Amino acid sequence: MNKTILIVEDQEDNRRIMRDLLTSGGFAVREAVNGIDGVKAAAEHRPDLILMDVQLPGIDGYEATRRIKAMPEMQQTPIIIVTSYALSGDDQKAYAAGGDDYVAKPFSPRRLLEKVRGYLA
Amino acid sequence: MRHPDRSNPDKKMASISRRFSYGLIGVATLLLTTFAAVAIFLNIQRSERELMSRLDNAIRLAQTSLPTPIWNLDRKIIRDFVEALFLEDAVVYTRITTGREIMAFKVRGQSLVANLTADAVLPAGIEAEFLIKSAPIRFEGNPIGEIQIVLSRKSLREKTRRQIYGIIALAFLLIAAIWITSIIITRRYIALPLLMLQQSASRIAYGDLDTFVDLSGGGEIGSLAQNLDAMRGSIKRLFEALRQSKAELEDHSRMLEQNVADRTRELAQTVEELHALVEVSRTVSSTLDIETVLARIVRHAVQLSKTDAGTLYEVDLAEQVFTPRINYGLSDAYIEVLRRAGPRPGDESAVSRALMKREPFQIPDLSKSTTYPLNHVKAAGYRALLAVPLMRDKRLIGGLVVRRKKPGVFESPVIELLQAFAAQSVIAIDNARLFREIEAKGRELARANRHKSEFLANMSHELRTPLNAILGYTELILDEIYGAVPDKIGEILERLEHNGRHLLNLINDVLDLSKIEAGQLELALDDYAMADVVHSVVTAVEGLAAEKNLPLTVTMPASLSPGRGDSQRIAQVLMNLLGNAVKFTDSGHIDVNVEESGGQFTVAVSDTGCGLAAADREHIFNEFHQVDGSSTREKGGTGLGLAIAKRIVEMHGGQIGVDSIAGEGSTFRFSVPVRVAEQGGPG
Repeated sequence: MNKTILIVEDQEDNRRIMRDLLTSGGFAVREAVNGIDGVKAAAEHRPDLILMDVQLPGIDGYEATRRIKAMPEMQQTPIIIVTSYALSGDDQKAYAAGGDDYVAKPFSPRRLLEKVRGYLA
Repeated sequence: MRHPDRSNPDKKMASISRRFSYGLIGVATLLLTTFAAVAIFLNIQRSERELMSRLDNAIRLAQTSLPTPIWNLDRKIIRDFVEALFLEDAVVYTRITTGREIMAFKVRGQSLVANLTADAVLPAGIEAEFLIKSAPIRFEGNPIGEIQIVLSRKSLREKTRRQIYGIIALAFLLIAAIWITSIIITRRYIALPLLMLQQSASRIAYGDLDTFVDLSGGGEIGSLAQNLDAMRGSIKRLFEALRQSKAELEDHSRMLEQNVADRTRELAQTVEELHALVEVSRTVSSTLDIETVLARIVRHAVQLSKTDAGTLYEVDLAEQVFTPRINYGLSDAYIEVLRRAGPRPGDESAVSRALMKREPFQIPDLSKSTTYPLNHVKAAGYRALLAVPLMRDKRLIGGLVVRRKKPGVFESPVIELLQAFAAQSVIAIDNARLFREIEAKGRELARANRHKSEFLANMSHELRTPLNAILGYTELILDEIYGAVPDKIGEILERLEHNGRHLLNLINDVLDLSKIEAGQLELALDDYAMADVVHSVVTAVEGLAAEKNLPLTVTMPASLSPGRGDSQRIAQVLMNLLGNAVKFTDSGHIDVNVEESGGQFTVAVSDTGCGLAAADREHIFNEFHQVDGSSTREKGGTGLGLAIAKRIVEMHGGQIGVDSIAGEGSTFRFSVPVRVAEQGGPG
């Protein structure tokens, strides 16, 4: 059975790039377009890994990560935070919110796939 | 100090006369004793001679008177003769013998010979006490008898003793008389005048120069007294001269003291004024709260001009109003009166006149002014007014008025003082206005700058989002996720990706810089190892260097202190320098040198590239500056890298610089503290 990855991303093109990338890599993909939906989808589908954008309408990616990590059944699920600004401090914020890893935009799809495979091997 | 002789003048006097008397008595005693001794000796000799002659006379008398009676054996006459002899006190023994027969014999009692019998022989050894003489009595040349007479020396000795006593008594009497006389004489003629002289000298010594020295004495003492009196006169004249000089000196000194006191007072006043002015100007330059400054100015103006109240008016010539801006020494009610019915431009009030004349104007006595319009000022008890105009660049901006309840002219120092305060007020008002303007400008600028930075940050984000999509899709296509890609298209896609990345770098740099400028960039301080930072950066550029066939060497101490700072940002700086080195070097080599000293890491990147001209070295760290436009395009730089690197290094509290010779190469060097202190955030 294919591993399921939840993509929380409001921007359609980014969503599609990740979807195409991950599908081609053999993963099942679930999508959410904002923080609230992301938290709901995580609770409902219990994905094996979550790619979480930071800048989201409503609650941001850090807050969504905190809420998901607060669920007992999701504590072991890796969350990779995708930051918009490649600036200092973002990595700390990502880890502080409970994220397991982070990728800065613009990310290389190739590298992202490697990272995801690393977690789900 | 007391004069030693003054303590007991009698003693002194006694000592003089006594010494004199002792001398005199000594001499007199010696003389008298000698005289007495000689007299006594002579007297004794004379008595002896007298006694002897008396004895001789008695013998001769007997030799003359007795031959006949003896011849006649007239015993009665002989006895009478013996009795007659005994009338003489000194006769103690008489014996008249004729052959064997004793004709007459008599001894006087109470003597050594008294117990002798008539026929006894005179004992031997009595000659010391008695004078003994025997003589024959002759009748017609034939001895018929003998007479022996003994005279006692006793009575003679008594007499002599009495005489000696008399002489001694006389000598004593004489000595006493001489003594007393000498004492009287020395006292009267030597000691007393000397004592008086001494007392005069003492008086002079103790400063009594007015009592004349007694000149009654004559002789040496008299001339001594004259000299002393002359000396007293000289000293007195000297003293008077001295006293006069002293008095003059004291007068001078008093005058001087008065002058000093006056000057001191003036100086104190001046100092106080200066102090106030300094305080005011310090307040003017340090306090931008215009109300505080002006209140202080008005207060000092009133206090230092010794007036009772003051007001600083603002004038609006267009509106024809004076506004009492700052008041001192006035009640709120009176300030309200001033506000409603105060002076107006063009009227006869002091402030109005001062502004019209553009110079200080005073009314020394309001009660004598018929034209003064403000009755409430008079009613409040003010009698004298002084007003000075406040002018900025010959433009009237207000007036400063002080009011005094005591009438009188304001002297020029007070007027000058008030003018100084007026000038300070103008500066204060100007400063406040300038500050308000600058503050407004500053706020405007800050706002504009923030807008700019925010705009840039937002724009770069907005630009990046679609760019991310373009790059993402390009990579996915190139990775043939959407199917096989013909070589030709693949080649174009790679160029598309390359340009896209350049654009992205530009946008990232702009974003970084704008965040730094907007103060939004904060250093994420953490512990790091400089060796790791250097290795990671070198690893990242090694490929590029190898492609251009440029050897890249790293020189670094085996151990470096653990660093604290924003390692990602430090890596960004090094990446920039190393990237540039590779970019601008076509042949030769690139060296990275890391050192640690004095609590600083220094990282130098040397290349053998085109180098920099001196003019470029100054601007190389400015935004969007590159050696020339063409190289920017060729080398794909953004022109922001060094500007960002400089800011990052400075945020760490470090420095960045470059040494370069055009055509030979460059060495970029930056240093950062090994341990960056917390809150080393952006300035």
